[in-house]
Amino acid sequence: MTPSNRRRFLERLAACAGVPAAAWAAPGGLPSAEHDASSPEWEHLSAQLFPGRRLQQGQAVVQIVAPLRAAYGASVPVKVMSKLPQRPELYVQRLHVLVDKNPSPLAAVLDLTTEVGQADFETRLRVDEYSHVRVVSELSNGELHTDSRYVKTSGGCSAPPNRDALHLLGKTVLRVAGDVHIGEPTSASVTVVHPNDTGFELNQVTVMYIPPHFVRSIRVSYVQRKVFDAELDFSVSENPTLRFNFVPHGGGELRAEVTDSRDGQFVGTLALG
Amino acid sequence: MSLTRRVLSLAAIAGALSAASMPASAVFPAAYKPTVLQPAGTPQRHEFDLRPALRRAQREHKRLYVYLGASDCPYCRRYEAFLERHADELVPHFAKDYLVIDLRSSLSVTAQQLYFRVGDKSLPYAEFMRTIGDERERMLVYPSVWLFDGAAKPLMQMPAGTGTFETVPEQLEILRLQQ
Repeated sequence: MTPSNRRRFLERLAACAGVPAAAWAAPGGLPSAEHDASSPEWEHLSAQLFPGRRLQQGQAVVQIVAPLRAAYGASVPVKVMSKLPQRPELYVQRLHVLVDKNPSPLAAVLDLTTEVGQADFETRLRVDEYSHVRVVSELSNGELHTDSRYVKTSGGCSAPPNRDALHLLGKTVLRVAGDVHIGEPTSASVTVVHPNDTGFELNQVTVMYIPPHFVRSIRVSYVQRKVFDAELDFSVSENPTLRFNFVPHGGGELRAEVTDSRDGQFVGTLALG
Repeated sequence: MSLTRRVLSLAAIAGALSAASMPASAVFPAAYKPTVLQPAGTPQRHEFDLRPALRRAQREHKRLYVYLGASDCPYCRRYEAFLERHADELVPHFAKDYLVIDLRSSLSVTAQQLYFRVGDKSLPYAEFMRTIGDERERMLVYPSVWLFDGAAKPLMQMPAGTGTFETVPEQLEILRLQQ
C-alpha cells in the first residue's frame, strides 16, 4: 500500500469508529465475543482491504496466538504461526495483522519471500479496547486464510508513555536465537528502540497529547537478499520488535533498515559466521 | 483538543469521581472470608509476608487469590463493590478453590517501598515480579491480583488492574484460569 493509499484507507477507517456495538454487550455491559467471530469493524475492514475476495477462516494454514487477557493493553504478545513451509511453488506472500477496534486497525503488513523459510512471526501490539486480533495470510496462489483471537484489555493506545531511552531512539538491534542453521529456517529478532507514540498518549507534565511518532517500516535482508518488508503502524507497541525466521545460505550480514513517521532512517546489522 | 477527546476526558473524570464517591473504607468483602494482611516495616517499607498464607494453601489444597488494594484507590472500591454486589453468585466459586488474601496498602506506597516475603527472601515489587515471571513488573497498578498455588507458583499471567473481570462471567473466567 502506498503512503497516499494508506492515508486514504485510514481516513475511511476513521468513519468506522462510530459503529454501534450494542449487540455485543455482555452482562455488566462489557463486550464479549467468540474468538472466531466477526465484528462490524472487521466486516468494514475486510471489504476495504480484500474487496470481492474469499477469506477462509480456520487454523489449517495460519494461526494467531494471543492471550485472552494481557498484562498491559499497550503490550499484548501476539504470535503468528504458518502451517506451510516457504517453498517457491507455494508460500506465504503477505501477512496482515489487524486489531479490529484500534484507532488504526491495520497494525502490520509483512511482505515475505521464501528466504523466510517458515513464515512465523512474533510481536507485541497495542490493543485499545476489547477487540479481535486477526491475521490474514495471503498465499502466492492468491488464497486468503484468516484466524483471530478475542483479547480483553483496554487503554493500549493511551497508556502512559515510556521515556526511559529516548537518547537511544532508532537504535536497531538484530539478534539470532540459538545456533545458525545453514539452509534451514533460523530464528532471529529485530528490535528498534522507539517510543512508537500513538498521538493518544498524554504527557502527564504538560497535559498535552504527545504527537504521533512511530516506526513506519522495517526492511530485513540477508546478504542483500530480501527476507521481508514490514509496513507498521502505531498499533505496534513501543520499541517495536519482530521475531522472524530466515534461511542463511552461508556467512554474511543480516541487515534491517528502518524508517519512522518523521522520516528518521536507522540501520542495524549483524555479521554471521 | 478535539471534541471527541474532550468528551472522553470528561467521561474518564466523571467515572473516576463516581468511583471515588464510594465509601473509602471498603475492603475485600467479608462474604469471601478474606485473610487480611497488614504491611510490616512501615513507614520505610511495606512488606507483606505471604508465607503463612502459602502454608495454609498447601495444607488445605487450595490456591491463593492475592488482592492488593489501596485504601484511597477509586478502582479498588469499584472492584470491591462489584464483588459485594455479586457475592451470592461468586462466593461459592471462590470458596471451592481459593483462599482470599487481602493485602492492605495505599496509593502513596510505590513499587520501591512494596516488598513481598516468600520463602527466605523479601523482595521489592519489581524483583519479586521478575522472579515469578510476571510481566507487570514495569508498573505497579492498584488494585492488583495474583493467583498462586501453594508453592507460590503463579497460575496465570494476570492483567494490570481488575477492569477486565468486573462481570460475573469474566470473574469466573479468572477463577477457572481461562486464558
